[in-house]
Amino acid sequence: MVLEPQKRISAKALSVWRISGALLSIFAFLLAGGVIGLTIAFDWPMWIVGAALLFFAAFIYIFVMLIPSLKWRRWRYEVRENEIELMSGVIVIKRTLVPMIRVQHVDTRQGPLLRKYRLATVAISTAATVHEIPALEIDEAEELRFFISNLARVADEDV
Amino acid sequence: MRMSEPRRLHPVSAIANCLKQIKELIIPFLVFVVFGSRSDMFQLVISVVILAFVLISGILTWLRYTYRLEEGELRIEYGVFVRKKRYIPFERIQSLDLSEGILQRLFGLVKVKVETAGGSNEAEAVLTAVSKEEANSIKEIVFFAKRDSREKEDRAFEKGCEQILYKISLQELFLLASTSGGVGVVLSAVLAFVFQFEEFIPYEQIFRGIEDVVSDGIFFISIIIFIGFLIAWLIALIGTMIKYSGFTLIKKDEELIISRGLLEKRQLTIPLQRVQAVRISENLIRQPLGLCTVYMESAGGSNADKENAKVMALPVIKKNCVASLLSEHLADYELEPVIRQAPKRALGRYAVRGLLIVLPVIAALVTFFRPWGLLASIPILLLSFLWSFISYRDAGWNIHHQQLTLRYRTIIKNTVMMKRNKIQSLSMHESIFQRRGNLATIRASVLSGLGGSGGKVKDLDKEDVLASYKWYSYTK
Repeated sequence: MVLEPQKRISAKALSVWRISGALLSIFAFLLAGGVIGLTIAFDWPMWIVGAALLFFAAFIYIFVMLIPSLKWRRWRYEVRENEIELMSGVIVIKRTLVPMIRVQHVDTRQGPLLRKYRLATVAISTAATVHEIPALEIDEAEELRFFISNLARVADEDV
Repeated sequence: MRMSEPRRLHPVSAIANCLKQIKELIIPFLVFVVFGSRSDMFQLVISVVILAFVLISGILTWLRYTYRLEEGELRIEYGVFVRKKRYIPFERIQSLDLSEGILQRLFGLVKVKVETAGGSNEAEAVLTAVSKEEANSIKEIVFFAKRDSREKEDRAFEKGCEQILYKISLQELFLLASTSGGVGVVLSAVLAFVFQFEEFIPYEQIFRGIEDVVSDGIFFISIIIFIGFLIAWLIALIGTMIKYSGFTLIKKDEELIISRGLLEKRQLTIPLQRVQAVRISENLIRQPLGLCTVYMESAGGSNADKENAKVMALPVIKKNCVASLLSEHLADYELEPVIRQAPKRALGRYAVRGLLIVLPVIAALVTFFRPWGLLASIPILLLSFLWSFISYRDAGWNIHHQQLTLRYRTIIKNTVMMKRNKIQSLSMHESIFQRRGNLATIRASVLSGLGGSGGKVKDLDKEDVLASYKWYSYTK
């Protein structure tokens, strides 16, 4: 039996995802606020206000609380000698195998949020696909990048 | 070595340059003529200036473009104002594709496209017009040099061994054209055209005409629609026949050479080791007739040339003949694997997926077209179930030594055969609902051109998917 990958990504990813969820919910806030404003201005039935508030609350709960923690709990990865395995997904669980000899290059990437938390995303490219490990500690990401690119180079002769 | 002095292309390429520029300029030019200033004189002068500019730049481009074969490199120097040099080592040249446009055929010339493995669009070179003898001698020099550089490989016994694997007959050509999906393309082009110029079509006149026709009965409308379809089909038929006339598949050394075309002759070379996957496609019309199309996904090429990525190797062939024709030449591929189907319990999920697609349509029909919408939704529902059922029936997989075969249907039924060492990555997906039924989806990616391709089969037995996952894993 193939063992599921074990390593988790940084716990700080939770905070980053919560913040981006919060940023996203600004839109929900604007939408709900607009609807409430219109309801008051045009004397629409009051249940619309309730519905808008409920929508906003649900949005915040889902995108700030629920999805980040489910996502984080699911995210696993493992870098073995011959291959990289990733596992992720909230509703659909996705497991991917990337053999070392198929890796073309590895990038690390940081947005402003990730940089603030000293995290980075590692992107592993094969000739046909790109796979990402989000939010690793920056040192770990760098180390991983070196590790993979070294292994990938060794294995390259085998193609 | 011969041909070391710089050479120009055939003067026809100056004309080709002009034509290309005119083609690019035609839309801005038309806009200028139609919406431009009122003064005729001004327009005339500008037009003449533009034409003169195109002509001169075409000639200058030709004059300044030289190529030579020197020190194991194809050296091209070009550029009117900025001189550019491009040196391509022979070893880097993956293939030379010869094609003949109408212009080239008039003068007995060919266009030579130099393909390299490099990623960027710019990496290739095009010799717009050279004589056939010259093209052949370039080909010989390049490949002779390439062969020289890997002398150790003993391939002498294969040298020059050319074998025609397949040549399309007139009957097959007709079969190909009449069963292709091209009708849809032509129809949608006509529709797009109609919508584009909606404003200019005198609907009132037409409708007045139609009113008379309608009074003559619905029969005539059906006939008109039928004739419309027939014409679209005929156009598609002729187009396909011209495009694929004379289709030949040749095996030479370790390469497959495909040539086709009536007006524009195209030749394509795929080294066998660059084949990433073999795909057998059966569209809705061909499948009941037992026919299929065989494609080869090939690596490299350039962005501009999508055709090189997914190469049609056999345009139309009886499905049970594929293996006997190709297996000898694609020795490591098992072309007739025994497919293991998705388990029975997956059928429900296929049906639900089909329903989810048509449900909005049905809902709209029922709400907006009260009495008749309900009636119309019955055939839609039936179609959806039928599609779900055949999709379910076609879903399957096989592992045979180093080969993974995935079979699935979108609208066309696809069977993709991939070698383990050509699969770039493999993944399995499991939704909450799938987990309940112990099912999973498998997806394998291969390189095709510069992008990805591959196959994806939904709702296979989870144990089966895990088995393929394990088969692919390098950690034993």
